[in-house]
Amino acid sequence: MRVEDLLEQMKGSIIEGNKEKAEQLAREAIAQGLDLNEVINKGYVPGIQEVGRLWEEGEYFLPELLTSAECMKSAMSILEPELIKSGDKRITEGKVIIGTVEGDIHDIGKNLVAAMLTANGFEVIDLGADVPLDMFIDKAVQENANIICLSALLTTTMIGQKKVVDMLKTKSLKEKIKVMVGGAPVTKEWANRIGADGYGENAMEAVKIAKALINR
Amino acid sequence: MDIIEINEFRVDVNPDDLIRTLGLKKKTSPKKEELKEIILQEIHEIKKLIKPKGIYRIIDYEETNYHPIFENAKKVALAICTIGSELERKSSELMKENQMLKGLIYDAYGSEAVEQVACQLDRIISEEARKMGFWPSKRFSPGYGKWDIKEQIFVFKILPGERIGVKLKSSYMMEPRKSISFRINFYSEPVQDGKKNMCAECEMKNCPFRKEE
Repeated sequence: MRVEDLLEQMKGSIIEGNKEKAEQLAREAIAQGLDLNEVINKGYVPGIQEVGRLWEEGEYFLPELLTSAECMKSAMSILEPELIKSGDKRITEGKVIIGTVEGDIHDIGKNLVAAMLTANGFEVIDLGADVPLDMFIDKAVQENANIICLSALLTTTMIGQKKVVDMLKTKSLKEKIKVMVGGAPVTKEWANRIGADGYGENAMEAVKIAKALINR
Repeated sequence: MDIIEINEFRVDVNPDDLIRTLGLKKKTSPKKEELKEIILQEIHEIKKLIKPKGIYRIIDYEETNYHPIFENAKKVALAICTIGSELERKSSELMKENQMLKGLIYDAYGSEAVEQVACQLDRIISEEARKMGFWPSKRFSPGYGKWDIKEQIFVFKILPGERIGVKLKSSYMMEPRKSISFRINFYSEPVQDGKKNMCAECEMKNCPFRKEE
């Protein structure tokens, strides 16, 4: 298959949400000895970008977004080890630490944001739910992360988001590490009030904002 | 009054309702049929993971903490119900295994299922109230309106949630997540806050679980 056709099919597999096809094309790219970063950026990434556009236009809904995110992850899980084997690594948008703040065991919303960030080229380290606040900062420092994403689904736990921002300020890390907040009771006003850098109303918004923060 | 425990609940979520809560609002979409197929395939497995349990106790007004929301009630029923933790555990596992959509379906089914359990428990309690000659109010949970979420402490003081496997965290959140606690006031006269569509009164207009008005 011509490289252009292969890239086009990769894009299509993500838009259609066809996991088997996305995986099979990834294996084919490896077999053909193609530049895998180029394959990712010119084949699969345009696919997930198109999915984002369709979502914005109201054509796609959460189930489609998730299916496409699954396809991206499946294809990447085949391509990335090969990249590493060849001494290369995936060019990512940035590194994100994500989790639900302590006291809060909700994890679905956070999982959706993590999936969409991963699908859109971020390296995501998911700390899970009920995460001690200092762990976010320790992990971000250790991993040299660009962004910490804090999820809170309760009015009683969203204060944890403020505490993390305050802790970053105290440690003089606020400029280096950006903070994004989200969750049902969280609003843009709350994000501004506590000094967070971004607020995503939904998973796709979170991707947009994360990209903007990295490129700022 | 004694603590009553109930383990018999009927849970049967309509796939179309589930599709709506999953955010597919469009009337026609190829994904809708595909989604319905996945749901129908998974329903058997999902149902095996649902272990509904409920517990309630009816107390006299004098036994309450005299919170204003109990005002004028002769008696108050406090209740906790759950579908257990197995379904939400499976949902998280699926998501970790990159089966995001399936994980989300399991979670959404759980949300609808626990709501059904709460509705049935509500009916049982309301029936009990009527038998006792009272007029039951609608169901309210801590965190609704003027009843602060901190009042969970009072609910758990009156009811041993752990008897049905429900624990209260310091954030007032219940574990398993798919649990609902609530109160129903018993009045001696018909009241304004009788049974109505609760979604119509809720301020979260964009809530995915909102039922059509």
